[in-house]
Amino acid sequence: MSVVIGAERDSAPAIAWAAQKRLMSLFLIGGFSALMIGAAIGPLQALNYADVNAYPFLRPVLQSYYEGLTIHGVLNAYVFTFFVTSGLLVYLPARELELEPNMPIWWTSFGLMTIGAVMLLYAMFDNSSSVLWTFYPPLKGSPYFYFGMTLLTLGSMVPLAAVMDLRTRWKRANPGKLTPLVTYMSAATLLMWLLAALGAAAELIVQLDPWSLGLTKHVDPIIGRTLFWWTGHPIVYFWLMPAYVSWYAFLPREAGGKLVSDPMARLTFALLLIFSMPVGTHHQLQDPGIAPVIKAIIAGLTLSVALPSLITAFTLGLSLEYAGRRRGGRGWIGWFTALPWKNPSVAAQVLAMITFIFGGAGGIVNGSFQLDNIVHNTTWIPGHFHITVGTAVTMTFMGLSFWMIPHLTGRALFSRKLALISIWLWFIGMSVFSLGMHWAGLFGVPRRAWVSELPHSEYMHVYGVAHFPLILVGVGGVILWGATAAFYVVFFGSLFGGKRNETPVHIPFTEFLAGPEGSRLAGILEYLWPITGLTFLVTLAAYLPVLIPFFQHQTFAPGWMVW
Amino acid sequence: MSDITPETRFDHAFHKAADRHERVWIFFTIALLALLFAGTLAFVAVDFGVVAKGAGFYKSPLTPADSPLFKSGKLVKTGPSAYSAYVTGKLWYWTPSPIHVPQGATVTFYVTSADVIHGFEVQGTTINLTAIPGVVGTVSYTFDKARIYHIVCNEYCGIAHQSMIGEIIVDRRPT
Repeated sequence: MSVVIGAERDSAPAIAWAAQKRLMSLFLIGGFSALMIGAAIGPLQALNYADVNAYPFLRPVLQSYYEGLTIHGVLNAYVFTFFVTSGLLVYLPARELELEPNMPIWWTSFGLMTIGAVMLLYAMFDNSSSVLWTFYPPLKGSPYFYFGMTLLTLGSMVPLAAVMDLRTRWKRANPGKLTPLVTYMSAATLLMWLLAALGAAAELIVQLDPWSLGLTKHVDPIIGRTLFWWTGHPIVYFWLMPAYVSWYAFLPREAGGKLVSDPMARLTFALLLIFSMPVGTHHQLQDPGIAPVIKAIIAGLTLSVALPSLITAFTLGLSLEYAGRRRGGRGWIGWFTALPWKNPSVAAQVLAMITFIFGGAGGIVNGSFQLDNIVHNTTWIPGHFHITVGTAVTMTFMGLSFWMIPHLTGRALFSRKLALISIWLWFIGMSVFSLGMHWAGLFGVPRRAWVSELPHSEYMHVYGVAHFPLILVGVGGVILWGATAAFYVVFFGSLFGGKRNETPVHIPFTEFLAGPEGSRLAGILEYLWPITGLTFLVTLAAYLPVLIPFFQHQTFAPGWMVW
Repeated sequence: MSDITPETRFDHAFHKAADRHERVWIFFTIALLALLFAGTLAFVAVDFGVVAKGAGFYKSPLTPADSPLFKSGKLVKTGPSAYSAYVTGKLWYWTPSPIHVPQGATVTFYVTSADVIHGFEVQGTTINLTAIPGVVGTVSYTFDKARIYHIVCNEYCGIAHQSMIGEIIVDRRPT
C-alpha cells in the first residue's frame, strides 16, 4: 500500500503543508493551554478531600471549591479534548490521503471554539457560572457560559465537513478502493459526534440559551438532564476514539512493529459509533420517572460497549507483542519489557493502555443496574473517569505531542528524560488518586463536595470512615502537580526552545500484518452514512420512551444562582 | 520501514496464530456479555426495591413539597413493619431530619426537591435517588441494624452543598 501512495506523491503537485502545520499547532497549543489551567487547579480538589482547604487563601482568583471545580471540568473535559481532537482528526487524514484539507472549514472550527472558550473562561472566572461541567438546570449561570458552551460544541462538530470532503475527493480519485484507515477512524468518530452532540446542542439552544437571557422564565430540569446525557455518555467516546486512532495507527509503528489487523480497527470504530449512542440513560439509573424495564434494557445494552473495547485490547495487545518479539523479547513477559520504554511517546501510550484496563473494568460496575446504586455520585465516579479520560486519553495526547511537536515545528523535544519523568509521575499520581477515590466512594463519600469546608469534627464524624483513602486522594493530587509541571516544561520548552532538528520527523503511520484488501467485513463497514442513519434510529428508539413522559408532564422550574 | 519486510516467515506464523486466538477471544467476549445482559434483565423481576422509581410529576416544583404528607414530617405506618417517609431536599438541608425508624422496619422513601436538583444518598445503604424539582421518586430499604445513618446530598446544589447532611436514627427494637 505504501508503494501506491508513494507513486501518487511523485505525480501529484507537492503540498507545502506549512499552513496546515501552523493551524494544527494552534489547535494543539489551544487544547494543552486549557489543560494546563485545569490540571493546575485539580490537585486543590484532591487536597480538599484530604481535608486540606486551600480556597480561603485563593480568594481573589478563586472564590470557592465549586468555582475551581467548574473551571477544571470545563477546561479539561471540553476545551482540551475538543481542540486537540478537532485538530488531529482533520490533519491526520489529510496527511494520510496526501490531500489538502478545506482550510476555511477547519479555521471555522478553530474560530468558533476559540470564541466559545474565551466566553466560558470569562463566565467561570467571574464566578457567575459555578454550575460545574454538567450545568444541570435549574442552577443558572450567566449567558456567557451557555452561549460559550454552544459555540464550543458547534465548533467541535465542524471538522466532520472537512473530513467528509477529504474522503469524497479521495474516493473520486480512487474508485472502488476502501477509505484508508486513519481517515476511516476519523470519519467514524466525527459521525458519532454529529449524533451525540445533538442532545447538548438542543439543551443549550432550545432550553438554556433563551432562559439565560430571560426570554423564558422556567426550565424543565429532567428534560435538560436527559438531553445532557444524550451527549454526556457518547462524549466519553469522543474523548477516547482519537486516542484509539493513535493506538491503532501510530503506536504499533512507534513500538517497532505493525498493526496486526486493519479490519478489526474498522470494526471497533463502527461498533463504537453504534453502541455509544443509545445508552446515555444509564447515567440516570437513580432518576425517578424512567420505567425500570427501560433502565434494565439500557444497562444491558451498555455492556455491549465492552465488545469493541475488548477487541481493541486483543488487537493492540497482540500488535505490541509483535513489536516486542521483533525487538528480541522472549517468553511470557519478555516481549513487554522489550518495548522501547525509553521513548516517552511509547511509554505514555502503553501506560495509558494499562490504566484503561482498570478504567474499563470499573465502567462495568458503573453501568450495572444495581451496583451503580452503591457508587452513583460518590467519589468512585470521578475516580473512574480520571483513569479513563484523565489518564488513558490525556496521557495518549501527551505521548502524541512528544512526536507531533517535533513534526510540526521542526524542533527536537526539549528533554526526553523530563518527558519520561512527567509520564511516570502522571501514571503514579493518577493511580494513587484514583485508588483513593474508588475506595472512598465505597464508603459513600459524595463526589464534588467541599468537605474540607466542614468543621474538622464534622468531616471526621461523617467521612472519618474513609480517612485513609481520602489521604491517598490528596497524595495523588500532589504527585500530579509534579507531573503537570514537568510536562509543561517539556511542552512549551520544545515549542519555543527546542533545538532545530536536522532531519524532518514524519508521522509514524503504521503498516499492517493483515490489511483491508479483500476483507468482506471492511467492505461492509465502508458504508458509514447508512451505519450512522441506523444508529440514529436506534438512538431514537432508546430515547423516545424516556423523553415522551417527560414532555407530557412538564415542570416549570425557576432558576437559582446559589454559589 | 525497510527493515521489516512484510512476508517473513515470522509474520506468517504470528498472523496465523493471531487469527485463531482472535476468534476464541471474540467468542468468549460475546458469551460473557450475553450472560451479563441476561443477568441485568433478571433484575427487573427481582429489584430488591433499590431501583429508583417515579411516583409523580408536577407542574410546579413546590406542589409536592408543600403537600400535607411532605410538610407533616411524620413517618406513616403502612403495614405491620412497613412505613413511608416523605422527604424534601431544600437549599441546604433535608426535611424532616432526623428521621426515627424502628429497627427491622422497611421504609419506602418518597423524595422530591423544592428548588434545584439534590441527591438523596443514605451512606452505608443501597439508597441512592435523585431529588428533582417537580418529580417525586421512591425507593425502599429495610433497616436491620440499630445505628445512625447519614443522609448525604450527592448532587451539587450550590455553595453549602457539602453541609446538606441529614440523619436517620434506627431505634433499637425493644427486647
